[in-house]
Amino acid sequence: MIRLYDYLLSVNCYKQRLLLSILDVPYERVDIDFYPGWEHKGAEFRKINPLGHIPVIDDDGYVLWDAHAILVYLACKYDPSGSWYPTSDPQRLGEVASWMLFAEGTTNTASAARLHVNLGYDFDLEACQAGAHRLFRVLDEHLWFREQQGQAWVASGESPTIADIALFGDVALSEDGGISRLDYPALRRWTERVQRLPGFIDMPGIFPVAKAPA
Amino acid sequence: MTAPDPGSLLHPVAGCADLVPRHVVKARLLGQDLAVWRADDDFVNVWADRCIHRGVRLTVAANDGAELVCPYHGWRYSNRSGNCAYMPAHPSDAPPRRLRVPTFRSEERYGLIWSGGSPEAEPPRLPHLEGEDTLVLRALPVNAPPDLALQGLLEWPCQPVPAPGDGASISCDSAGPFAVAVTARTGGTEEAVVHFVQPVDGGRCVIRPVMRGAPAADRRLSILRHHARQLEELRTRLESSAGSPVAVRGPSTPLQPLRRPTATAVSGRAPQLEVCVARKWLTAEGIAAFELAPVSGQLPSFQPGAHVDVHLPNGLVRQYSLTNGPGLTSVYRLGVKLEPDSRGGSRCMHVSVHEGDRLQLSEPHNNFPLRRDAARTVLIAGGIGVTPLLAMAQTLQRQELAYELHYFAQSDDHLAFGEVLEPLSTGLVKHLGLSPDQTADEIKKITHDYGTASHLYVCGPGPMIEATRAIAADSGWPEDAVHFEYFKNESELHDASSFEVRLARTGQTLVVGPGVSLLDSLRDAGVDMPSSCEQGVCGTCMATVLEGELDHQDVFFNDSERAAGDRILTCVSRAGGHKIVLDL
Repeated sequence: MIRLYDYLLSVNCYKQRLLLSILDVPYERVDIDFYPGWEHKGAEFRKINPLGHIPVIDDDGYVLWDAHAILVYLACKYDPSGSWYPTSDPQRLGEVASWMLFAEGTTNTASAARLHVNLGYDFDLEACQAGAHRLFRVLDEHLWFREQQGQAWVASGESPTIADIALFGDVALSEDGGISRLDYPALRRWTERVQRLPGFIDMPGIFPVAKAPA
Repeated sequence: MTAPDPGSLLHPVAGCADLVPRHVVKARLLGQDLAVWRADDDFVNVWADRCIHRGVRLTVAANDGAELVCPYHGWRYSNRSGNCAYMPAHPSDAPPRRLRVPTFRSEERYGLIWSGGSPEAEPPRLPHLEGEDTLVLRALPVNAPPDLALQGLLEWPCQPVPAPGDGASISCDSAGPFAVAVTARTGGTEEAVVHFVQPVDGGRCVIRPVMRGAPAADRRLSILRHHARQLEELRTRLESSAGSPVAVRGPSTPLQPLRRPTATAVSGRAPQLEVCVARKWLTAEGIAAFELAPVSGQLPSFQPGAHVDVHLPNGLVRQYSLTNGPGLTSVYRLGVKLEPDSRGGSRCMHVSVHEGDRLQLSEPHNNFPLRRDAARTVLIAGGIGVTPLLAMAQTLQRQELAYELHYFAQSDDHLAFGEVLEPLSTGLVKHLGLSPDQTADEIKKITHDYGTASHLYVCGPGPMIEATRAIAADSGWPEDAVHFEYFKNESELHDASSFEVRLARTGQTLVVGPGVSLLDSLRDAGVDMPSSCEQGVCGTCMATVLEGELDHQDVFFNDSERAAGDRILTCVSRAGGHKIVLDL
């Protein structure tokens, strides 16, 4: 069984829980005392991940770290439909890779602002917030034009991909880091679409949405 | 010319296309944060973005199509009125009518939602956009004051369409205090885009462009992209110069929520609403249905179980339950059965009230509130008694809470509101053509296994309610789990007694003589008492009793409430002894 080194309030860990839930893959959680214990920075944990980051998965002895890399692995291994990481479609795969790298940016800005505000990290809050707004402007425009073309997700095509999973948490929890989504109406509609996916689970700070009309 | 006060105008706050189903748009206008949402009946609500309970932003609430549900404590707010419709922490109470989210105007024009605090203002009408289809281009939020954006738009020859040709002449003109129109002429063709500027607050705005005409599908996307790129360029300029000294026209007046006309004093049975009979039809054998629409403004919202007093053309006042489910807020829908021994109420509604007629109503009263936290909810309807239970069943169905609606009627032809019953099919059980004994047997079967947190609601003819209460009590249902509402008080009323009433708060002492009601005596003494049915059914004229024996003659209280002796319905009940003391 997959073992997930996890912390309830970590957005990067939540990305894994969300995909595992959507793919309906059983796993066990190993709770890391991220805050205030800083267990992930301790010597014991660095034996598992020398970078001192969570999440980490251990899939029957195969150990992998880095949130977005784990999403790639899980989708390739546990999504028989192949739709979450579309390896058979080079163009869509390229888009997914591009937006996954973009998600590194939202992690390092929007989610970093949240870590600063809520979980005791010392980042340059204003720089994180300004950086997040720059990225959100790009993502909002991208999603608005997607809607204009009758499409719902970050990468082209009819179904969501792990790029949506990688971006969702950073966006949905941005207000915790003082980043308002007032200016991003298309982004707010997209987060609701993600929340209506079958198998969606939330984490603290994400509010439930109404069901789509019948 | 002095610039108009921005607070006196309507401004765009969202694109109509932003309001997708079951979504809440976050907006801000003149410093006021707004929650904007479209209900399933297409009404667009523009509300202050604050739950009045604990101040949570309503833009994180769930739009269930008829109500916004705050995620913190589940307070529900009704479409149109913004009234609180339900508080889960007080499941057996109807929320006070004054609990209301501040609401603002909403108008739709040119593909945009317009709002503002002024009751008189209209959205602008521009010759550039009249008489043709329009295309809403991508709106762009700008971190620069509205004035700066307007000035920038005037100086920015933002070509509406890609590559109009070298000979294009482009003009930018002010089109009202918060809009700039761009017109491009090439040869015989002319393209126009109006940029509306939404003043977000003193330092921010949203540029909302609307183009005249609907381009062919193959050009649409390229126009959208072309224009978005140009606006993006303008934004970069505006934001880099926003620090420069510019006359900032900030919100000189903060946005004021709409003030609803205050209801007339809730004294006596004075009508408070004027409605028009929008539709009247025969919904079942002997049952007329009515849809009553407001003559102006919105109807007050209400909770399932509520009734209104209808002031009939013949001078009588009658109570009718509202059958509306949660989505229906534009009309009140009533069902009226023609009683063979009508005292003039039902006959008048059937014979003398027609479509187009005006009627006076009270605001809704709810003395039959529905809990939404029950493990099991059983609704038992006898004939026309189905009306309040229809409102309850639709509410429970919408919230996906389990219920059973047992509808006792003479025959299929006597089932009212078939179009409402149809979608309730999972919870609906029909019991047709049963004798009183057979009815009692059915009710025994329905109520035989009482479980904790079960609640029973019964409405129908008096004897049926009596029977149901007795049967439920025998099966172990506690009194506070059995809720009932009578149509009328069929008991014989005695008003021969004479007694003294002391009013503890004012210190007055009154004498109620034979043939005079306590209610009338109180009113004669200057006490402002609300009332509705005035026959001991509805509970509106209740007063708190501090001392004295009571002679209850109502059908509102259950046995333990009567025994407690701490409340009295002043319209029919009297003192049991010589004197009572009321908390008035």
